[in-house]
Amino acid sequence: MGVANEVVSFNHVGKTYTGGTVALSDFHLSVKEGEFLSFLGPSGCGKSTALRMVAGLGEATDGDVSVFNKKPKEMIQQTNDIAFVFQDANLLPWRNVLDNVLLPLELRGGNKKESKQTALRVLEMVGLKDHLKSYPRQLSGGMKMRVSIARALAAKPRMLLMDEPFGALDEITRQTLQMELLDIWQQENMTVLFVTHNVYEAVFLSSRIAVMSARPGRLSSLIDIDLPYPRELSVRTNPTFTEYVDLASDHLETSSDRKEIG
Amino acid sequence: MESPSLQVSKQNVVSKVKKPKERKIWMTFKNVYLGPIVAFIIFIALWQAIPVLLGLKHYILPKPTDVVEATIKDWDLLWPAVQITVIESVTGFLVSAVVGIFISILLASSKILERSIYPYAIILQTIPVVAVAPIVVIWFGAGFNAIVVISFLIGFFPIISNTLMGLNSVDKNMDELFTLYNASKWQRMWKLRIPAALPFIMAGLKISCTLSIVGAIVGEYVAGIGGGKGGLGYAITVAAIQVKTPYLFACGIAAAILGISFYLLVSLFSHLMLRSWHESAMKVEK
Ligand SMILES: Nc1ncnc2c1ncn2[C@@H]1O[C@H](COP(=O)(O)OP(=O)(O)O)[C@@H](O)[C@H]1O
Ligand SMILES: [Mg+2]
Repeated sequence: MGVANEVVSFNHVGKTYTGGTVALSDFHLSVKEGEFLSFLGPSGCGKSTALRMVAGLGEATDGDVSVFNKKPKEMIQQTNDIAFVFQDANLLPWRNVLDNVLLPLELRGGNKKESKQTALRVLEMVGLKDHLKSYPRQLSGGMKMRVSIARALAAKPRMLLMDEPFGALDEITRQTLQMELLDIWQQENMTVLFVTHNVYEAVFLSSRIAVMSARPGRLSSLIDIDLPYPRELSVRTNPTFTEYVDLASDHLETSSDRKEIG
Repeated sequence: MESPSLQVSKQNVVSKVKKPKERKIWMTFKNVYLGPIVAFIIFIALWQAIPVLLGLKHYILPKPTDVVEATIKDWDLLWPAVQITVIESVTGFLVSAVVGIFISILLASSKILERSIYPYAIILQTIPVVAVAPIVVIWFGAGFNAIVVISFLIGFFPIISNTLMGLNSVDKNMDELFTLYNASKWQRMWKLRIPAALPFIMAGLKISCTLSIVGAIVGEYVAGIGGGKGGLGYAITVAAIQVKTPYLFACGIAAAILGISFYLLVSLFSHLMLRSWHESAMKVEK
């Protein structure tokens, strides 16, 4: 639609699954290059459905989605620009850490030596350089997620899609990974689309939050988070942070109230 | 293997105090090996006693000592027979593994092929191979070839059904990961579906390795020796006609030992293949 620096555009998107569940309805949103945008909403409100569409996993039944002005399917077929991080890390159990990270490069058919250098670089970024030969079952949940993030970064994407990546982790690990993710986001100049149902997480990470409501899933409000980066953990005690958390919670509640009435 | 566990747990309660150093070895011995050993000794003792107590003739129920005697006396017959059966069943097993896995991959690589042929694979599996064995003999002639084919037929279907199940058991998220990296059909096959199927394939191999021995022995019953030397199945037929019951027992025990060894060998192979990642191969740790 020609908005400057627009990387993703949801154009009045609707999604009805076979069986009749309306997962998304009139979802309209434009994502700007370099944003850290979170989808925040109760479970079942269509966050995953929306995120997956950006990666070409599932198509809109109404309206359309475009990524870098192309169809998502074309993007994943032709470029390495989109990477997806799944909630459960989704590592191949028969491959060690290094080989898991090498997978995208192998599938895309790159030079072996360069691929290995790239893999080592991203593994260093996530602090796993000493675990190259470990197998997924030998790793903690946090480490698995780090490998998963490294794998996503390996193909040098311009956009990182993350579906509740830290949902299954303990609070301390989650906070560490949140900090690391912000560092990576700034270093790599990516756009990040991040799905969560955790208000604190959304406010801490995001430059913008898309609050969603359930049944049918729709966008209920957009909140710009004007807190400067880099954000330290101490941001959480900042009154502005608390205000944003209250604001986002309010929007969440009103959107679910609406659901009760409707 | 299962039954002696009751006995073990009883003994667990009796002796609780022991010096910590010896204790660990003693505990593993007691918990794992003692029960089966005791059960084995009791079993042999009963077996030795019963024919004596009931006055049974050795051609009705030979005593363990009779069996040992027959084994020693007819070792020159038994040992070549075992060797022949090993060659037949290993050949049958290897052919069924290679052909089974290859055909499964071929079927799984095309939805149309799989949909149209898989139902027949299931139906064929239910046909008792003994029933078609005579046809195999007509086609392949009496002797080695027919026996290997029968052994192959018996071992083949568990491998096909397990491998196909494994190739189709890929986790949805992993499948999507491959979609996101635009993996080709064969990349998906080699880097995702086959590794994911490996535990299933190994399970299939374990089933079919023991079946291949059954196949070889049944094959020998039906296909005879065709001019060559006979295996265990042939030895059993001959011994049965001559009512050499102790030797029959020796043949049976030899077949059992063969089956167990073959199974353990394939299990070891499976463990080596899967040890780096799969849960069923992880028991050894801790
Ligand atoms: N593949 C599917 N088939 C049918 N219904 C689905 C499917 N995936 C999700 N849904 C339904 O769509 C709605 C939104 O799901 P989802 O996008 O996963 O929500 P969220 O990620 O916000 O929890 C839910 O009601 C869910 O049950
Ligand atoms: Mg979800």
